[in-house]
Amino acid sequence: MTTFIEDSLQYLPLLLRGALVSLQVLFLSLAVATVLGMVLALMRLSNSRFLSVPAVTIITVLRGIPIFVQLLYIYFVFPEIGIDLTAFQAAILGIGVGYSAYHAENFRAGIISVDKGQYEAAKSIGMGTRQIMSRIILPQAVRIILPPYGNIMIMMLKDSSLASVITVSEMTRAAQLIASSTFKNMTVFTLVGLLYLCMSLPLSALNAWLERRFKAK
Amino acid sequence: MRESKAMIEAKNVSKHFGTLQVLKSMSFNVERGEVVCLIGPSGSGKSTMLRCINGLETYEKGTVTVDGKLVDANAKSILAIRTEVGMVFQRFNLFPHMTALENIIEGPTRVKRVPRQEAVEEAHSLLKKVGLTDKASSYPSQLSGGQQQRVAIARSLAMKPKAILFDEPTSALDPETVGEVLGVMQSLANEGMTMLIVTHEMGFAAEVASRVLFLDRGEILEQGPAKEVLSQPQNPRTQDFLRRVLHPVEGVSSSAFQ
Repeated sequence: MTTFIEDSLQYLPLLLRGALVSLQVLFLSLAVATVLGMVLALMRLSNSRFLSVPAVTIITVLRGIPIFVQLLYIYFVFPEIGIDLTAFQAAILGIGVGYSAYHAENFRAGIISVDKGQYEAAKSIGMGTRQIMSRIILPQAVRIILPPYGNIMIMMLKDSSLASVITVSEMTRAAQLIASSTFKNMTVFTLVGLLYLCMSLPLSALNAWLERRFKAK
Repeated sequence: MRESKAMIEAKNVSKHFGTLQVLKSMSFNVERGEVVCLIGPSGSGKSTMLRCINGLETYEKGTVTVDGKLVDANAKSILAIRTEVGMVFQRFNLFPHMTALENIIEGPTRVKRVPRQEAVEEAHSLLKKVGLTDKASSYPSQLSGGQQQRVAIARSLAMKPKAILFDEPTSALDPETVGEVLGVMQSLANEGMTMLIVTHEMGFAAEVASRVLFLDRGEILEQGPAKEVLSQPQNPRTQDFLRRVLHPVEGVSSSAFQ
């Protein structure tokens, strides 16, 4: 037990530096996934087939391929077609785009859950589509969207560890490097597991707070 | 551009839902300041006709004009027309994430760009008018059905419409709150508001409407001054409908005891 604590104190700074990178990957890819997810959801809900058919196709393809494979593809195949990205950029793009499909479906579910009468009431006072969405529909859809949104966010935190495969020096990669040079597997990976748990708890709390804030009046 | 006297004019309006023709070449006018009630059995096309007037439904043939302007649900002009014709729904459709006051100022501030302060003052006087002075900061879920519907009427009035469409405004209400909504509507009528009302409240229609149109299967079967149509209907289908609406128990008891 004392060696565990001594070793932990020794490795913790390196792991925490990695954790910081993990959080960067999470929040940047979450931003990409949220914006792209909303675009895909609105496209899919559009009356125009020129928008909805591509959206359905993109969502289906993104959902059907492992995020892991998408990351490898972006990091190793994109340079061959002339798109050079750093490992960090590739991770943000891969995880962000890959997860946008899940966010899109969640946003769509939230939007269609809002009563049809709300659209009609908003229309009847002369509101245009954009105002109806931003003022009337989305503020109500948020309540439905938030709980699954928190789930996806935590899945994204955990999947940020996949970035280790393409050499992003986030926490899991830091752990692998320490473990392979010290053979203290149990200490290192126990710590890593605990640190991911510690990061997910505040995210859950944040989501619970948001849910309370947007609760039905 | 033809000068039209009527506030609302429907001319030979037809519409299908699939193979079912819900509006059969329907024509009628609502003059300025007139209160017209649409009555008839469910499925007769009353609500559909009403919804064609502010473009919530499209129609296939004929024309609908509001204050001389053609209603086309797919044209950009529909947004402006909707600011001139209010609508009150059966299920109120208040915005649940906004207070009564916020519901009322939403249209004026966001659509008409009225300064917030001015819109708030106007909203308070509208709340007073519908008898809800103390409910400005209540959310819809904290209000009774009758109160919600009165807020909905105030929301509609806040746009200063030239006419208001009512789609069965009391059908979703508890019986004891029907009166307060009808009272507000009656005072609007007295002030000269142009109103087109789909309703099953025959007493109210007789009292307030200048004219009643009886619709059945997408056609106007009978129309005329309210008291005439309601007390001496000429068409057998109107007679049958009114008998069943006014004496609903008769039919039940006779069939139950046969």
